This record gives sequence, C-alpha cells and structure tokens, in this order.
Amino acid sequence: MLNTFIPFLAGIGWQDIVDIVINGYIIFRLYIIFRGTNAFRVLIGILLLWFFQRVAASLGLIVTSWAIQAITAVAAIIIIVVFRNEIRSVLQAKNLKTLLWGFPHKHLLTPIEIIIESAFELAKRHVGALIILPGKEDLKETVQSGIAWDGIVSIEMIMSIFWHDNPVHDGAIIIEGDRITEVSVILPLSHRKNLPSHYGTRHRAALGLAENSDALVLLTSEERGTILAAKKGVIHTIRNQEKLKQILEEHTGLAQEPKEFYKKEKFEIILAALVSILIVISIWFSFFKGMETWTTLQTPIDYRNLDPKVEILETSVNSVKLNLSGSGPLIKSLRPEQVMVRIDLGKALVGNNTFVIDKKNVTLPPGIKLNRVDPAEIKVLLDLPIKNELPVQVNWTGKLPAHLILTRATLDPDKVALLGRKEAFENISTVYTEKVWLDKIRSSGSLTAALKIVPAALKLDPGSKTQVTIKFEVRERLPGAK
Amino acid sequence: MGRKTLKKKTNRVYFLLLFPVLCGLFVSPVFSQQPAVSDQRKLALYQSAMCEGIEEYAPLNEAIVFSISLGKVYCFTFFEPVPQKTWIFHNYYFQDRLVAKAKLVIKPPSWKTYSSIQLREPDKGPWRVEVTDSGGRTFKVLRFSITD
Repeated sequence: MLNTFIPFLAGIGWQDIVDIVINGYIIFRLYIIFRGTNAFRVLIGILLLWFFQRVAASLGLIVTSWAIQAITAVAAIIIIVVFRNEIRSVLQAKNLKTLLWGFPHKHLLTPIEIIIESAFELAKRHVGALIILPGKEDLKETVQSGIAWDGIVSIEMIMSIFWHDNPVHDGAIIIEGDRITEVSVILPLSHRKNLPSHYGTRHRAALGLAENSDALVLLTSEERGTILAAKKGVIHTIRNQEKLKQILEEHTGLAQEPKEFYKKEKFEIILAALVSILIVISIWFSFFKGMETWTTLQTPIDYRNLDPKVEILETSVNSVKLNLSGSGPLIKSLRPEQVMVRIDLGKALVGNNTFVIDKKNVTLPPGIKLNRVDPAEIKVLLDLPIKNELPVQVNWTGKLPAHLILTRATLDPDKVALLGRKEAFENISTVYTEKVWLDKIRSSGSLTAALKIVPAALKLDPGSKTQVTIKFEVRERLPGAK
Repeated sequence: MGRKTLKKKTNRVYFLLLFPVLCGLFVSPVFSQQPAVSDQRKLALYQSAMCEGIEEYAPLNEAIVFSISLGKVYCFTFFEPVPQKTWIFHNYYFQDRLVAKAKLVIKPPSWKTYSSIQLREPDKGPWRVEVTDSGGRTFKVLRFSITD
C-alpha cells in the first residue's frame, strides 16, 4: 500500500496542484455566488444526473446512460432558459470583488423589533399588510416582481407603504436584512379548499407563498385587525409580541447569538471550500491518475543548440521509444506532435558525446508520465566541417558532329570551395558540372553550366559561384585517325 | 577489394611504349661526358595531351572530348629533361575512381611515351589522367570526357 502511495505522491507535479486549486476555487465561487438560488438547486440536480450517467456507463447500461446523458443536456439548457432572470440578477447585482473573492453575508441582521412594532401598529389600525421575510430560497421565480424600493426598515416607512392612499399599498413588501427591497409584490395564491371562510385574498396570497417557498409571510388583517404568520404551508394567528419575536428570531437565525450565527456561516463557507476541493480532487484523480493506461511512442530526437561551426557526423539512434502512462482518455487523445525529445548540444564537444535521456529531455502533455526510454543513452559524434577547394570539370555528353574536335575548354571559375566534414571529401577530388550537351556545337564559343554537388553532405561555400562559364574551342578533324 | 578492382581495370589497359626518337641528339659519348650536369637537372614534363592516336611519335587530334566509337583514347607525354632512367605513371580516373594505372619507363636525356585505354559503353562520362612520378608527385592532370 505504502509502496504504491509514495510513488503516486512523487508523481504529483506543481501543475496538478495548481490545477486542483484553480478549479476548486471556481466551484467554491460558484457556490458562494449562487447559494440560495433555485438555479443552484437545479444545478446540483444536474450534477447528480451526470454522476448517475457515469455510473450507468461504467456498469455497461448503455441505453440508460444515453437517456441520462440526453436529460442532462436538456436540463442544462433548461436551467439557462428558465432561470435566466435569476442568473442575470445574481451576476448583475454583484461587482467584480463579489464575483472573485468577496464573501457576501447570507443574512444581515433584521430589525426584528421594528417589524414587530410595525405589525402590531398596522393590526391595531386595521391596515391590511403582507410582509415577506425570505428564507434561504430565492423568491425571484416564485413572486411577480414588484417595485424596487431599497429603503431602511422603520415603523414609519412600513406604515406609510401600507397606508390606504399609497399607490403601492396593494401587494406585499420584501424585507431583506435591514432593508425593504421591494414593494407591491404579487404573490401566488393558495388553492387549498379547507381554509376558513373569512380568509380573503391576502390570506391566500400569504399561504400561497408559504407553500411555494421557505419564506416567512406576516399578514395583518384589515377586517379583524389580527396578525398571522405563514410558513411552510402553515398559517397561524399571532396573539402577542413575544410569539412574533420568537417566530422572527427562529426564521432569521437570530435566535442564536449573532456571533454564533457568523461562526456558523464561517463554518459553512469552510465546509463548502473543502467540498469544492474534494470534488476537483476526485475528478482529477479519476481523469489523470485513475485507470492508468500504458502506451509506447517512437519519437524522433530533436538536436538543439548545435554550434553552427560543428556538424553532427553520426548518431547512435535518430529516434527513441518512449514508454508512457496516463489515464485512458489522455493516452487516447495523445498525438505524436505533443511529445518531443530534445537533446541540448550547446555544451557538446567535437568528437564522441554521450547523452542520457530522461524526464528533462522529454516534453509531455500534462497528465502523461514517462516510465522508460529505450535506448536511454545515445551517442552523438560531432565534427568540424572543413573547407576544400576542388577543380571543376565539365561533364560533356551527347554527340559532337563527326568532323569536329573539341580541343580546349577553359572554365571560370576553374575551382570552387566546398564545405563539409572531412570524411565527405575522402572520395571526392573534382566538382563536375551538370551535363553539357555537345549536339548543337558547331563552332567555338561559350556557355554556362550549373555545378552538381555530390555527395549531399558537401555544400558549396557561400563565396563560390553556383555555375561556371565554359569557353570552348573546336576545330576540323585532321585526316589520319578515326 | 580495391586492389583486385584496380588489377582488373589495369588489365584492360594496353600499354604501348614508344622508344626514344631523339637518341641521335644525345649520343652516349656526349651524355657520359656530362654526368654531373644531368644529375642536377630535374625531371620535367615538357608536353602532354589526350589524343585520338599517335602518329610519327606525336599526338594526333588532341582533344578533350572523345567519342566512344573511337574505341581507344591515348595519353601522350613528353619528358624533357630526363636526368636518369625512372618510371612515371599515367593514372586513369573515371568519375574520381581510379580504374587504371600505367607504369611507363623513361630514360635520359628525354623521352616520349604514351598509354591508351580501351573504351566500352559504360565508360561514357568525365575522365582524368594524372601524370605522376614514382614518388607520387603530379606533373599534370589531363581532363576529358567520353561521349556518344
């Protein structure tokens, strides 16, 4: 166990750690930004679907896997279409700091006392009102948007909003933290049939929202002057301020001390961060380290930083066999051009050089591991090219008219300099021209011909001409010989 | 391997030695009277040429291109002075490959000599003859081509 674990740890590179940290942070930020929204809950559902799809695929349940895959794809589109407003409002409302590193508190301390006093004042004056205190769930998809308000909660403010002559008195208000964020909000109505007969539209609206969300809805009855609280589909009458205080404290989490509340939130954030990292580690492990697949790749050696004055005379091999491993998908997607073997000849000397090929010489895509190189050792023989001046000779070909004799030819230049390693000059003492045809020659004259440099290991010195001018002399054949 | 090829190629060459034509000018009494002077003089190549034939101890139709239909090509050399009896070589190269080596004797006071090579169809291409002494010193390189 330990024997496999230690090499595994040793195989983790800094890229892997950075990879995990970056992606873990992205997931964590998505949680922080979208927590409490409906879109986030659906996203969790999609992730679960994806997980089941992977399980089904691994178990060989092909059709099930396809079906879940299709549902996941459709659900992903649905989440964007259905929750577009919610996603937009989340992203629009938050600045760059909030998106990248800010930690907005889930709840601000709600001024409970003000709400209690306002509710009892409204009830006393028989003013109908609906006050919504959202829970963890986002209400944007449940209620119809009212009018943005953004006013600090006060008894006067609440009283004035629900005053009969106020244009926005009809509908509910939403209190988030210490602010009234929206007024004149339209709520979904409950369709329950077992409600008391004296319950009007306001009661059904309060119950409707309580049935569809985790929000707390406070209601003051215009006719009876009573206060009711609706939550989780239950509505009951509030007789005194203590009871309302208890309900509000429980709902807002202020039943605990604020310190404890923040401590809990801090714990939740740390837990979310750990879960995000764990998720990425498990994904990384399954993709990059799990199910190791081996492959062998024949890769050409790239010799670099060779001194321009020096030439490679001989190498023991021109390519090496690399034994690589990695996760199945990575090995499958591996292309030969992604793998490079480089030998730095910058410090090589003229003569025999031996190089050992290891990880330093091999460039691999992330996630691919080098296990073995065959051969691991290569020999490179370097030599200094020399410059040699060789005479040029015309390579005459074809047929000269029978009555003519080509007596003389002078070349310009009659010698050219070649560059190459010493061995390449061993069997070469003349540079020939390309074929020069005799068939059309009728009298003395001149022509030009290109040089033919063989073998390919030799190069014409940059200072030498690539072709020669041939001045030739012909005369009539003397009788006596053929 | 190389030696065997060389011998084979050498067998293809027919050497014809030309005896001195200027012996009358250098009769033995005169020659014997000036041994110290002749010893001091250096062997030199006075004339050389590739030709289609030899006539009257002289090259006939000197050229640098020879048709394969001629069947034979000659290398003529005239050494003057020749301080002492020695050997010279006509080394035949076909495209930088030594294919024939003719060892020719030359004698004082001067000597004309030649060698020839029999031509065959595969011999078309660039040739050269290096005229050297027994020590390997090159007197002259004669370049020519065998064509259609």
